[in-house]
Amino acid sequence: MKKIYSSLPLVFFFILVIFFFRQLILKEDPSELPSVLIDKSLPIIKLEKLAEYKLFNRENLLMLKEPSLINVWSSWCAPCKVEHEFLLAMSAKYNIKIFGINYKDDKKDAMKVLKLSGNPFYAIGRDEDGIQSINLGVYGVPETFVIDANGNIRYRHVGPILEYDMKNTILPILNSIK
Amino acid sequence: MKFIILTVFFIFSSIALTHSQVSYKADNIEAYELYEELRCLVCQNQSLLDSDAPLALDLKKLVLDKLEEGKSKEEIKLFLVERYGEFILLKPTFTIKNILLWVGPLIFVIFGFFTTFIFLRKNPLIKEENVNLTNIEKDKLKKIIDRELKE
Repeated sequence: MKKIYSSLPLVFFFILVIFFFRQLILKEDPSELPSVLIDKSLPIIKLEKLAEYKLFNRENLLMLKEPSLINVWSSWCAPCKVEHEFLLAMSAKYNIKIFGINYKDDKKDAMKVLKLSGNPFYAIGRDEDGIQSINLGVYGVPETFVIDANGNIRYRHVGPILEYDMKNTILPILNSIK
Repeated sequence: MKFIILTVFFIFSSIALTHSQVSYKADNIEAYELYEELRCLVCQNQSLLDSDAPLALDLKKLVLDKLEEGKSKEEIKLFLVERYGEFILLKPTFTIKNILLWVGPLIFVIFGFFTTFIFLRKNPLIKEENVNLTNIEKDKLKKIIDRELKE
């Protein structure tokens, strides 16, 4: 009996080790929020037009009847610049329609980025005060949502889409819901 | 000199404090309470009240706007939970899913008392019969105490 009690701290220690080890191996970012909107219908978002670029709303996405992406970006956001080339690749090479939400940005700065680095977006809407993005549960730029043909959110990617994410996450998900 | 430097530091630190309290002041008690109960999603262990992150400011504005529209505190919380999940509430709700979070600490306290109790009862040093000394031991003890007292 006494032996059991004296080995309890050791047992607790190993339980802790298992917990910590799990976190190490999973390589999940614990600060990353899972979206509560997964498998729910896209909420209504009211965006403003950016210069000559095509504007979009929820209905436009629903009418597409094909999977698409919504990308929340800004000219002042450094990681957005990193993912820009992969957005371009997805729209040009894989023919994916990407809807851009320009988050709390200056009109001129946003246009400058599109003119200089290319425009990966099928349509763009401005969210000047960031309130519309709150409807989507956005808590930082960039964020990307995978929307299926029925207008349901299927996946949310927090942070920049790198080549690895594009090939191993975004494209497979898009293919699986086609 | 040290005094002057310290004084300067104190003055500047108070400026820093007042600066952080400028934006979206909670004029009414409801907004203040909501700020306190909602998590800033950028700096995740701060409440909206403590945070100056751009998103926190936006959320504060949203809370004020919603209150002005006549929404209740619970409605605003529900609105945010629907978008950001329960994580945005600093105080988790008391549901089956969260039961371990609420009851867990209590279980550990009870377990702690239980093990302490067993440990104390089983410890031979504390048992009374061992405290009974023989006459020789008593003499020894008395000598030691006397010597200590003299010094």
